[in-house]
Amino acid sequence: MSTRPEPLKILTVCGVGMGSSLMLRMSVEEVLKRMGVAAKVEATDVSSARGMKADVIVGQGLHTEEFTGKAPVVVGISNFMDKEGLEKQLTEAFRSEGWME
Amino acid sequence: MDIFADVLLFLANNIFSEVAILIGLITLVGLMLQRAPIEETVAGAIRATIGVIILFVGIDVFVGGLVSFQTIVGSAVGLDPPEATNTLGDFLGTHGGSIALVIALGFLIHLVVVRILNTRYVYLTGHLLFWIAVITTAALVEMFGDVDQWTLVVAGSVVVALYWTIQPLALAPLMRKVIDSDDWGYGHTSSLACWMAGRLGKPLGTREEHDTEKLTLPKRLSFFKDINVSTALVIIVIMVVAGAFADPAVLAEQAAEYNVDINPWVWTLIAGLRFAAGIAILLFGVRMFLAEIVPAFKGISERLIPNSRPALDAPTIFPFAPTAVMIGFISSTAIFLVFMGIFAAAGWFVLVPPMIMLFFPGGAAAVFGNAVAGWRGAVFGGLINGAFLAIGQAVTWGMLSDTAPELATLADPDWYVIAWLVLGIGALASGMGDAGIWVVPAVVTAIFIVWYLLLRRRAEQVLPTGTPLGDSPFGRPDAEGPPQTSRSEHDRTEI
Repeated sequence: MSTRPEPLKILTVCGVGMGSSLMLRMSVEEVLKRMGVAAKVEATDVSSARGMKADVIVGQGLHTEEFTGKAPVVVGISNFMDKEGLEKQLTEAFRSEGWME
Repeated sequence: MDIFADVLLFLANNIFSEVAILIGLITLVGLMLQRAPIEETVAGAIRATIGVIILFVGIDVFVGGLVSFQTIVGSAVGLDPPEATNTLGDFLGTHGGSIALVIALGFLIHLVVVRILNTRYVYLTGHLLFWIAVITTAALVEMFGDVDQWTLVVAGSVVVALYWTIQPLALAPLMRKVIDSDDWGYGHTSSLACWMAGRLGKPLGTREEHDTEKLTLPKRLSFFKDINVSTALVIIVIMVVAGAFADPAVLAEQAAEYNVDINPWVWTLIAGLRFAAGIAILLFGVRMFLAEIVPAFKGISERLIPNSRPALDAPTIFPFAPTAVMIGFISSTAIFLVFMGIFAAAGWFVLVPPMIMLFFPGGAAAVFGNAVAGWRGAVFGGLINGAFLAIGQAVTWGMLSDTAPELATLADPDWYVIAWLVLGIGALASGMGDAGIWVVPAVVTAIFIVWYLLLRRRAEQVLPTGTPLGDSPFGRPDAEGPPQTSRSEHDRTEI
């Protein structure tokens, strides 16, 4: 169990880092606001993300495999508009890290 | 009055023609409308401005690599490199201000059209808001020369706004088959390849029987998903091979331009890497200003049009068939390389493999192809995209040689069609002098109206009248007015 970094540093990742990862960033920001978690979210591409430090990496399944182990929490998503699903995934992941009650 | 005129002239020369400053200002206004805190507003505007400057640096490096590639490969196959009297960097320098204004005004017109026609999708693929404005403006300038800036901006804005409106609508029926819902629309300039894959691919099989996701591809292929890696690798391999066949004098001269002491072979390697690095820098710059602008655009659209749905970038459909994406990328690249060989052998044109456009549009067309016909559809989708990109690049380079020919190597299928359309209409109106430019938005509006009515009639034919508007792409869940539609589960996929 560990304490949650404040604010959380989160990367949303896609192939080029400008389209879907940016949408994902906005969804993640909205969901975290609802969850009451402070975070700094940045959208980036697969290559750059490899050289960046983060507490959480969110991306579509196609890319998240490559990041397993690169951050404490790695979340793979399949539906970019499903904010409820995203909230559930993040909550579960945070709980298992001991970041949330 | 003189002071007034001086101020206007100063604004025209220093604000409205400087793309970096204009993008910064648009971001500033966007963030202010979003009521972001002052420090974030200022920081966002500064980041966006720096992003534009980085974009210029990236274009410089990229164009350098591109010229090396075309020169060496051209020499190897005995062809002159494609001619250009201007470059993308110069074009953005002289017309970038107009492009920034086309993005802002075009997006506003797009929102108004969506609101009035009660259509569903707001186009939020940020980099394509940018690039569609660039290609449209380039085609207009190529055709009509240096017209008055506001004339150019208004004409360009109408064209881009109508494209952003109709494209997600046209893809909506197929999109349902791909993502099995209406949660978002498809907003990407690969739409023509996707549409062809989804419509023409049908006889090739069925998804149930031939689904790509039942196949497993070698895991090693997955490093190709990193477009920096695939771009560098493919360009380097071709450069090194071409270096062996190129005129040694040409090779030595090109290498010496970079560094007089460098071994020409090592230079081919460096040149390939610079090509990839240029693209990486260029994308980094675009990403930096989009990260500030798109959230503001999204906020504005949500406030102006409640319950609209976003039209999103190609990779949002990739999770529905990731294997199809790889299949499409491979078939796209393969056919492109075949075309490259044929065009070189025939002495037509030195093609440059655009790896990003072979990956994203190729992958997306394959996902659409797979949705209707399984893996054969996926291969077919990739082939369509690869062929389109090869022919498009060869044909379009010369058409834009006085503005930004490099766009032909950065383009997705729809970019070519937009350029051809603008240039084609422009050619018909060329006898009308400066006023001819207005014919372009006028004809595009006419095409839009006919296309919109056809799409809508088609939806109405399939969907019996009487149920919630929200079920058709031609309405938002809360909107009022026609068409009222109803449908059974069976009809759902056939709209």
